Amino acid sequence: MVNSKAWMVVSLVLTCTIAAVALSQVFSITKPIIDGQSADALKASLSEVLPGAAEFNELEPGTAWSGKDAAGNRIGIVFKTSPRGYGGPITVVVGLDTTGRITGLGIGADMKETPGLGLKAREAWFRDQFRGKSESEVALKRDNGTLDAISAATITSRAVTNGVRKGFAQYSHHLKP
Amino acid sequence: MTSTPTRWQYFADGIIKENPVLILMIGLCPTLATSVSARDALGMAAATSFVLIGSNVVVSLIRKVVPGSVRIPIFIIVISTFVTIIDYVLQAYQPALYRVLGVFVPLIVVNCIILGRAEAFAYRHGVFDSLLDALGKSAGYGLVMLVMGSVREILAAGTWFGYAVTPAWFRTAPVLFMIFPPGAFLLIGILKGIVNRLTASKV
Repeated sequence: MVNSKAWMVVSLVLTCTIAAVALSQVFSITKPIIDGQSADALKASLSEVLPGAAEFNELEPGTAWSGKDAAGNRIGIVFKTSPRGYGGPITVVVGLDTTGRITGLGIGADMKETPGLGLKAREAWFRDQFRGKSESEVALKRDNGTLDAISAATITSRAVTNGVRKGFAQYSHHLKP
Repeated sequence: MTSTPTRWQYFADGIIKENPVLILMIGLCPTLATSVSARDALGMAAATSFVLIGSNVVVSLIRKVVPGSVRIPIFIIVISTFVTIIDYVLQAYQPALYRVLGVFVPLIVVNCIILGRAEAFAYRHGVFDSLLDALGKSAGYGLVMLVMGSVREILAAGTWFGYAVTPAWFRTAPVLFMIFPPGAFLLIGILKGIVNRLTASKV
């Protein structure tokens, strides 16, 4: 009976059915938690670069948000850009206040830069030097700008500054009232 | 060892004598790729163990009703079901670990340790023995992952499970090379050499 042709088909169908039912149960339990987590993670990454914002509204899907403080005043925008680094795209999240100065810069954890070199772009000293800069000041010192590059990781450093400037060009029109 | 029951050996053999990585030499790819730090390595070992234990138990339970000619597809469905479960669970409850392990979680489906044990052991043994076999192989895999993750993290970052365990001068200029694939190959070669020496001297 175990090796009959009919049972061969039935056993496969049965296995698939049981697996599908089990997976749909697990999926329905974990789906809300997973969704909540990615929403939380997005909000956390946005408020990190635009301190004081209590609420974010999407301006462009997945790339630009406007931030309001608790009183409902517009305090700036956040944009996300993905310049090409040494090992792949680097997710750069930038907050701008209403005068067009950078309030904070975040680098996504998913980048594939070289550990010990380009990966240092996530370190606070590199990200913090963008704070307070306006569009024209965002460039490495060797490119006649104001920012220190990460030593031995010029490609990564330049990718970040170019990404920020491109973001300025693309999204700063949202700052106009 | 002759006086101990064979059941105990199903478990104990997995740790050194039939260690999946260092003796059977299977499942090397995720071992090399995810052992960059002690925590990530243990996370990967835990996910793999969950799938291995689940699949060994289920395969052993259904072994008498599974037609021989379609057993491999059925094993694959069982294994991929457990992999998808652990994939969702990690994503929901351990998002940081999930981001690090990335594509290697879905790839547990094709980890030779799991299909190998299903076909070579669970399909021919009872539930309890299959459970012991899975626990033993998991322990052996976890041990290798812990050693590799620890050595690589300590040498490449100067930390262990994220805590600084080396002097500050070392941490400013660590052996970065160990975090890269060549470091993993070097280390697994050394481990294999040590195990070969240990097992050879017993003969």
